[in-house]
Amino acid sequence: MTAGPIITPGDDRPGSLWRDAWRRLRRNRLAVAGLVILALLVLVAAFGPWLTPYDFLSQNLDARNLPPSMAHPFGTDDLGRDVLSRVIYGARTAFLVAVLVTAVALLIGVVLGAIAGFYGGAFDKGLMWVTDMTMSVPQLLLVVVINASLKQPITLWMEARYLETLNPIYRNSAIIDFVLVFGSMALISWPPYARLVRAQVLSIRNRPYVTAARALGLTNRIILTRYVLPNAAGPLIVAVSAGLGTAMVLESAFSFLGIGVNPPTPSWGNMISDGLRVWTNYPHLLLAPAAVLAVVTVAFNFLGDGLNDALNPKGQK
Amino acid sequence: MSATLLSIRDLRKEFPVRLGAFGERAATVHALDGFSVDIVEGETLSLVGESGCGKSTTGYCVLNIQRPTSGSVIYAGTDIAKLDDDGMRPFRRDLQIVFQDPYSTLNPRMTIGDALAEPILFHGLAPKAEIRDRLRQLLADVGLSERFANRYPHELSGGQRQRVAIARALACRPRFIVCDEAISALDVSVQAQILNLLLDLQEKYGLTYLFIAHDLAVVRHISDRVGVMYLGRMAELARAEALFARPLHPYTRALLSAVPSTDPRAARNRQRLQGEVPSPLSPPSGCRFHTRCPLARDRCRSEAPALREVAEGQSVACHAVASATETNWENSPA
Amino acid sequence: MSALLEIRGLTIDIERDTGPARVVDGIDLAVEEGESLGIVGESGCGKSLTMLSLVGLLPNRIRATGGSARFAGQDLLALPQEALRKLRGSQIGFIFQDPMTSLNPVMRVGEQIAEALIHQSGMAKPAAMERAAELLELVGIPSPRDRLMAYPHELSGGMRQRVMIAIGLAGSPRLLIADEPTTALDVTIQAQIVDLVRDLKDRFGMSVVWITHDLALIAGLADRIAVLYAGTVVEDAPVEVIFDRPTHPYTRGLLASLPTLTDRPMTRLPSIGGTPPEPGRRPPGCPFAPRCTLAEAACDAAVPKLAAVPGSDPRHRVACFVTAGEGGRA
Repeated sequence: MTAGPIITPGDDRPGSLWRDAWRRLRRNRLAVAGLVILALLVLVAAFGPWLTPYDFLSQNLDARNLPPSMAHPFGTDDLGRDVLSRVIYGARTAFLVAVLVTAVALLIGVVLGAIAGFYGGAFDKGLMWVTDMTMSVPQLLLVVVINASLKQPITLWMEARYLETLNPIYRNSAIIDFVLVFGSMALISWPPYARLVRAQVLSIRNRPYVTAARALGLTNRIILTRYVLPNAAGPLIVAVSAGLGTAMVLESAFSFLGIGVNPPTPSWGNMISDGLRVWTNYPHLLLAPAAVLAVVTVAFNFLGDGLNDALNPKGQK
Repeated sequence: MSATLLSIRDLRKEFPVRLGAFGERAATVHALDGFSVDIVEGETLSLVGESGCGKSTTGYCVLNIQRPTSGSVIYAGTDIAKLDDDGMRPFRRDLQIVFQDPYSTLNPRMTIGDALAEPILFHGLAPKAEIRDRLRQLLADVGLSERFANRYPHELSGGQRQRVAIARALACRPRFIVCDEAISALDVSVQAQILNLLLDLQEKYGLTYLFIAHDLAVVRHISDRVGVMYLGRMAELARAEALFARPLHPYTRALLSAVPSTDPRAARNRQRLQGEVPSPLSPPSGCRFHTRCPLARDRCRSEAPALREVAEGQSVACHAVASATETNWENSPA
Repeated sequence: MSALLEIRGLTIDIERDTGPARVVDGIDLAVEEGESLGIVGESGCGKSLTMLSLVGLLPNRIRATGGSARFAGQDLLALPQEALRKLRGSQIGFIFQDPMTSLNPVMRVGEQIAEALIHQSGMAKPAAMERAAELLELVGIPSPRDRLMAYPHELSGGMRQRVMIAIGLAGSPRLLIADEPTTALDVTIQAQIVDLVRDLKDRFGMSVVWITHDLALIAGLADRIAVLYAGTVVEDAPVEVIFDRPTHPYTRGLLASLPTLTDRPMTRLPSIGGTPPEPGRRPPGCPFAPRCTLAEAACDAAVPKLAAVPGSDPRHRVACFVTAGEGGRA
């Protein structure tokens, strides 16, 4: 199929809906602030190793629980590790989790939601039943149950595989954490995407331009990918922006509860959890990661709101 | 007389619907009830009538965009009404449609060039290298410069969009185009442009049109034959000159009388058809027009009149119309 | 007769991201007591916005930025919202285009009519329902007492538009504004609605402003017609003059491009080439000049003012450099 401009000479207005939306987004100060904060987060996460003043693991037992100073802007923790460095590494964890979980959830949600909305029938009914069930159970509870019930059998299975094959990959317990935490987070995150995509597809599949495409004899696959899904993208982008923020908070919540990323890998959640125990004596250990998490969450909300207004200009004041 | 392009026989379409606050009652909409006509190559056949008369359903069923409940549509020796999506695909090239609302029939995320190129490439009607020339020619055919190829639909006016929709229908070099209220949503001065464009294209490419409209005055300019429909049935089918010079069915006469006159003095003194179109959920028995008909008699309430030829090229479905000359119009509305 | 409504130099702007764009550019219009005025123009010409601005119902980001609109002695554009709200539904009735979406779907039609009466004239509910039944009968709804209890979805499109008209009439307005009230309706129903409004006007002596894109539709209804193009009045004349001696090239083009039942079949309709200018992109001179076959150099340089046509009806005014002089002939 064709893509991009076919005829170029003499055209003076390569206009686009996305360009208009981008222009509206730029005029929204809060959204721009959110975007800038998140861009900084991405940079910090990407270049973390070069930015951190100290190694996030190296302990200095002579400098434990120091308050913020020039040498340690966020102070040090109970093992004398630099808190700023750990917050920066925590950003890598948070970002990795958020992007991976959202990407997996989005993929599942878009594929299932699009098929259900476009073709309907028994598949649609079944999918709606599954999403209803998943969404009606409290998220944290579901993750705790999955982790608690699957961790043991998977560990035993991996142990057995190792004894069979002697492949060292089966000894790496971090993989179990990773798969279980990310897997269970993706599992509870995809139903809202599926429902959103399905609702969008349901309304778009009866638009006249879809009927027009059918009248041209185009196949369902082309109609779905080129006519239906691109027009569902707007609300989906807004949902993804909000979903990334939610995934970060979720990861922190799991780590806080001890079922997420395990120490010594820094995560904002387990830092908050550690800081909470000593916050009366060393408040900076709690405040630093909590403040960063709060700022990032608010930034995602600002961006999500801004995107919503930019992509749906009719709802604007 | 030229060859028959499409032969439509006893086409029926029923939609099941659910009624009541919880969809507890099932009912059937009889949208199209036994529609038969032969469409002749190169002609423009217009269908007119009020909402619910089944004129748009006819267009969709003929093209198998909506699957007819029963009946046949013979095109090139094949009954296309029985085909599924895959079987229909090769015929889609020849049989095209232009929809009413140019604002919603173009994918807002696709440039005009992409929208026009897609059917050509999909059906393999031109190699990619020749696409540019083909696009330029298509746009020229509908009176647009090639610069429009890079634009998005939202940058175009209603008239320009309808030109693009027509170009898209032309992209596959079709033989037959259904124009479903194709000019109804346009401004008056633009309507005339698009009507003229359709006439030009018909001359140039020998197209056959099924032109669906609610406005008899518009239809007059484009039609060889006109079918007047009421609640899913054909009330009158006649050559355009005959229909406008000597409308025979009481409903045709009522429709003509409802056309606004541009003479302010004449416009103030006319009789109107009373009442509204009954629901197609429970159409009246017998002749479906009898509830509003000034000539209705007992027979009309029980027995549906058949469409029969009463004059050269003029068929009417009415018990009260004996022949073209013997009808008593004393109590008629027009 | 005295002018009930007098609009002078009205300008309306849309606030865009790129700055304000002018949609109504200095409209002068007057409606006399008991007169029916037809406002004709294509989509985007500003005909609806002009009327909405009078009652403070302009959409967000669209604002009246200049001029005045005197209604029964007070300037509507200067009135506070509260005073305008009182005026709406009492002195000025409004009928909207789409009866499907202009009625509240979860409220019985009787209550919707009665509500206007209760809030505007402080009527008690039983009296208001009684009056609502009278109004339904007035607009030609059979068995009106039963229909009071119907929900909008139980009525046909034509019936709903009759209900809208009943609501518009509820406060016995001096001015009824009808904004394309028949566009969504079938042709035979359109004709019924036009007849109904004409009868009601004759009966109650109110003034009617009927906004439409269809010149032919209001030929039998309007006393006078104002033709709008790109936010300006290009011609304003009694209805017979518009149809017998149209003077502005745009009016002539509109009339010529109307399909009628007297044309010969299978003939090309004369059409106006091009499309109207978009708001904010109007040419410096006459807005119609780019599409006008009679345009001269002067037309691109300056905007013609609406002026009386010498030798024609005294109420005949046109905004054209080229044809204004020939209005008396033809």
